[in-house]
Order: sequence, then structure tokens, then C-alpha cells
Amino acid sequence: MSAVKSRRDLVFWALFALTAVVFAFEIGFVFFKVPEAQAGSGGIAQKIFYFHVPAAYAMYLSGGVGFLASALYLYGATDLRDAWAKAGAECAVCFGSLVLTSGPLWAKKAWGVYWTFDPRLTTLLLTVLIYAAVVMLRVFGGSGEAERRFAAALTVLGTVTLPIVHYSVQKWGGNHPTVITKGGGGLGHPDMKLALGIGFFAMTLLAALLVWMRARLNFASSRLAAAEEAAAAAGIGETT
Amino acid sequence: MTAQTAAPDPSSRSQEFAPVQGGGDSTSAGALLVVAYLVMWALLLGFLGLGWRRQGKLETRLSELERSVAGKAPGA
Repeated sequence: MSAVKSRRDLVFWALFALTAVVFAFEIGFVFFKVPEAQAGSGGIAQKIFYFHVPAAYAMYLSGGVGFLASALYLYGATDLRDAWAKAGAECAVCFGSLVLTSGPLWAKKAWGVYWTFDPRLTTLLLTVLIYAAVVMLRVFGGSGEAERRFAAALTVLGTVTLPIVHYSVQKWGGNHPTVITKGGGGLGHPDMKLALGIGFFAMTLLAALLVWMRARLNFASSRLAAAEEAAAAAGIGETT
Repeated sequence: MTAQTAAPDPSSRSQEFAPVQGGGDSTSAGALLVVAYLVMWALLLGFLGLGWRRQGKLETRLSELERSVAGKAPGA
């Protein structure tokens, strides 16, 4: 058991180191190698793009993990599935917040305003609010079976809205450009495409690291709570 | 903070950055870039920090439980 744990720790720290190295390279590459975009795409502010878009993708990944674990939890409840479901929602809020803060700062230069109720922006905001509701429910609503099931159902609902966010630009237009699929928004230079690719890789690593970390933490927390209950039932000491 | 959008053809708007009606772009692009990166990293580090603090609390609770169990163990 301890050999498995130490091997898991090794993988975790290796992933941590790899993520740090890739991010360090990406930051250097974006700032020192990748050319500035045209003024119409925000000029130097367009460099926000290389983290903004991958952060949105990382939110999809986290939401996907939350969706899968929640669906499995609703099928058959276990502490491990609940831990992964909660971790997915927590990380989706984290990455969604990155998108919702970096996007408006870029928009100020590209569009002239921080925010507009464009279909993609509005649907993304709603999705992040759903995930935030899941996290709030779990923080303030306790960890009873009913709260867990309701949170799992809400996480499934949050993830069902992700395709709506993704395809909102194609279906309803709006100010938000379809940068990748239609080549808009200043991806003219090969280095720009490479920087975006590295950004996706870096955020994939970061999402894997954060979701795994939070899931381990959530699972350890539920195991400890169960051990405390058992200890209290057995009349062993007073625990906080 | 917010503004009404102009209403050109949705299919053409979605392929490029079109200025929003009523918006001005006098803000420094460099300043926006720096603020964006600072905010993003602050959010990420904050998320990591919260996890770290929760881990610390968990370890404290675990130590207390271990002490209680050791105190009740036969021969203790």
C-alpha cells in the first residue's frame, strides 16, 4: 500500500514539475518569440489569448470529469466518485474564473468594452455560475447524501450547458470570434499557432494536476470524517 | 462597463474582432496584458493556497484523531 502511495506521489510531483516547465516555456515563448497581433485583434493585448482559450478548454475538461464522476455517483454512490465530482466542479469554477477575468481585459482593447451580453459570454457566465452553485452547496450545505446527489445532478446540468457555450458562436454569432475553427482573431503567424498548441498542452497538464489534487483532498477529507464518526461511536476521545 | 452591440450580420461578426458601439479603446494594451496575467496567476495561486490550507487542517484533525486513538489503545 505504501509502495503504491509513494509511486502515486512520484507521479504527482513529476506531473507538477512537467507542468511548471511547460508553463515557464510557454510564458517565455509568448512574450519573447510570438509576434504581436494586428491592432484590430488587440495588439499586444492579444497575447492574453494564449492562456484565455486554453483556460476555457481546461474548464471543459474539468467539467467533463465532474460530469462523468457525477453521473457515476448518481448511478452508484461512493465517496471516491463524490470526491472526483466535487473536484471537477471546483476546478471548473477556477478555470471559468480565469476565462471570465482574462477575456474582458482583452475585450477592452479588441472591442472597446469590458463586457457585452454576447451569446458566448452570457452562456459561459451562466455555466460558471452553475458550477459555483455546486461548490457553494457543498461548502455550506454539508456532505449529506441528499446534498451530494443534488450537487451531482447540478454538475451534470452544468456540463450539459458546455456544448451550448461552445457552439453559441457558430449558431448565434455575436462579438466573440470563432478564432480557431474559422481562422479569425489574429492567428496569422505559425508561432502563434504553436504558442496556442503549447498553451493547450500546459492547461491540460494543469487541469489534470488540479483535479487530481482536489479529488485526493476531497477523498481524504471524507475518509477522515468517517474515521472521526467511527471513533466517536467507539467512544475514543473527542475530536474537532 | 457594458454597452449595446452594433447589429451587423452575425456570421461575419463571429470571424473577427468588431468594436462594440459606444466603446473606446484608449486603455493601454500593455497594461491590460499585465493585469490579465497578474489576475490569472493570482486566481490560480489562490486556488492552490486554499487547497494547501485545507490540507493543513486535514492533517491537524488526523493528528488529533491519532492521539485520541493512541490514548485509548491497550497499554497506553
